[in-house]
Amino acid sequence: MNSPWPLLITLTYVAIAMVIGLRARAGRSMNSLEEWGVAGRSMGPVTLYLLIAAGSVSAYTFMGAPGWAYSKGVAVFYVAIYLSYLALVAWYFGPKVWQFGEQFGHVTQASAISDRYQSPALGALAALVMAIGSIAYAVLQTIGSAYILFVMSGGLIPIWLGVVLVLACIAVYLYASGQRAIGRTNAFQGVLMLIVAWAVGLWAVHSATGGLSFAGVFERIQAEHSEFLTLPGAGGDMSFSFWTTSIIVSMFSFMPPVWTQWMSASSARTIRRSATWLPTYYVVILPMVVVGFIGIFSLPELARADTVVLEYAMQHLPVVLVGLLGAGTLAASMSSSEPFIHSVSLSLSKDVLQPVLKLSDGVTGKLARLLILPIMFLVVAPLAIAEPGSLVMILLVGLGFASQVLPAFIGMFFWPRASRLGVMAGIVAGFLITVAFTTLWPHPMGIHAGFWGLMLNLPVFVAVSLITPATHAEVVERFFRIAAPRGFTQRGRRAAV
Amino acid sequence: MERLLVLPTSRAGWGLFIAFVVLVLAGTWPVIGWVNRATLVMGLPLLVVWSYLVIFACVVVMLIGNRIVERDDHE
Repeated sequence: MNSPWPLLITLTYVAIAMVIGLRARAGRSMNSLEEWGVAGRSMGPVTLYLLIAAGSVSAYTFMGAPGWAYSKGVAVFYVAIYLSYLALVAWYFGPKVWQFGEQFGHVTQASAISDRYQSPALGALAALVMAIGSIAYAVLQTIGSAYILFVMSGGLIPIWLGVVLVLACIAVYLYASGQRAIGRTNAFQGVLMLIVAWAVGLWAVHSATGGLSFAGVFERIQAEHSEFLTLPGAGGDMSFSFWTTSIIVSMFSFMPPVWTQWMSASSARTIRRSATWLPTYYVVILPMVVVGFIGIFSLPELARADTVVLEYAMQHLPVVLVGLLGAGTLAASMSSSEPFIHSVSLSLSKDVLQPVLKLSDGVTGKLARLLILPIMFLVVAPLAIAEPGSLVMILLVGLGFASQVLPAFIGMFFWPRASRLGVMAGIVAGFLITVAFTTLWPHPMGIHAGFWGLMLNLPVFVAVSLITPATHAEVVERFFRIAAPRGFTQRGRRAAV
Repeated sequence: MERLLVLPTSRAGWGLFIAFVVLVLAGTWPVIGWVNRATLVMGLPLLVVWSYLVIFACVVVMLIGNRIVERDDHE
């Protein structure tokens, strides 16, 4: 690719994102956890909608999802379904988490766990292990960002330089404006991704079929490759059980940045309103996936499935659209990596270093801002440049663990009798099974490893909770006044809290 | 601790709970098996159309939920 336009457009996007991120601070001091961590709990419904939407739509939507369509077919739509179920999760749990944060001063997920079970050790454990999955996720997104810069520059920006450039840009505005920068930049990135996805998708359909209807694409797929239109897909590996258990496990993976986003809302009602409309954003996936289907008959010999949209764009689309695609893909990867880096820094400072080093809130606030630098340049950057083959495995194990924290949330929202030891035992049992069924015997019987983990985790959690002491009654009452504001259903009658 | 589980406490709450369960069932097996056919509806694969029906049904259920929550005036 010889034109300078794709790189110029992509770098223009980066410059705009930086300006927006830096201006988000608006003269406020960012040295408190409340301000840097959760934007002073101030975000309105539109910003929150775009914050959560752009955060959940990663480079996967622009690269991985079309790649799945190209190699497997309609199986990729499990992602759109589970993202919508995550909106249901946000609608129900988000307002309660916001109230916990507002009333009890939590700024992280691990703080809430630590408080509910009166166990800083459990909070620190949750923070540390969630950090593994979060960092792996941020590394994968950073690799995607660097790859985009490499392609858009025609190879002039090597991967290592792309990694450093992208992380440096994020570091500047994340340090300066914290969660406010994430909110504002994600809002911009969310709108950009939606426009780019539909512009690229429709243009690609027009170049492939001569019209703007997706029907031409799918009629050809139906005639020539109908196995792409059903499960288990062209690869034969997306069974009903894997589809179902992947959705359920993903739905119950309460990742820490999502909690931080909920706690950043201006009110509980704001979260509910944003969550209500959140599924509408996932129309962003459809046009990108259609380009993946076009690739089935246009680029049959592609070596890497996840480059299908980029390859098709470079061969058939005008350079301006290629540049916009670069900007959109970069926006997707940056908007997903920055909340994870922010959340790791926030949680390690608040839930691990503060209790261990007995730091004041003021010092912890400053530490959280500074900690993004070693996390980015000593952990994320070397891993992204080295691209270890086991990274996806680390991510899978990390996400599998995220779902194993489910008992902690059951005890927070549904079951007052849950005990600290019950939660710990459930997490450990579930985590071991998830690791074993991810690495040694991947997804037995076509069922997601995290689902197997939950099947052991939940009975262990219940059994150990019933034989070990519950948390102090006044703590449980405090949480369940929010989790169950109208009391409990108890053996067919209502009981007040 | 005498209390057992947090469950809906009103008829509207139970209705909403059932709607949430139905939505999750609609997007998973066995329901997803019933729409797993290589046919096109409005030019799109049936599974894709079904996926987006489930997605927009989530919006409708949450809109109804908002009315219930705001009518009852509690968070």
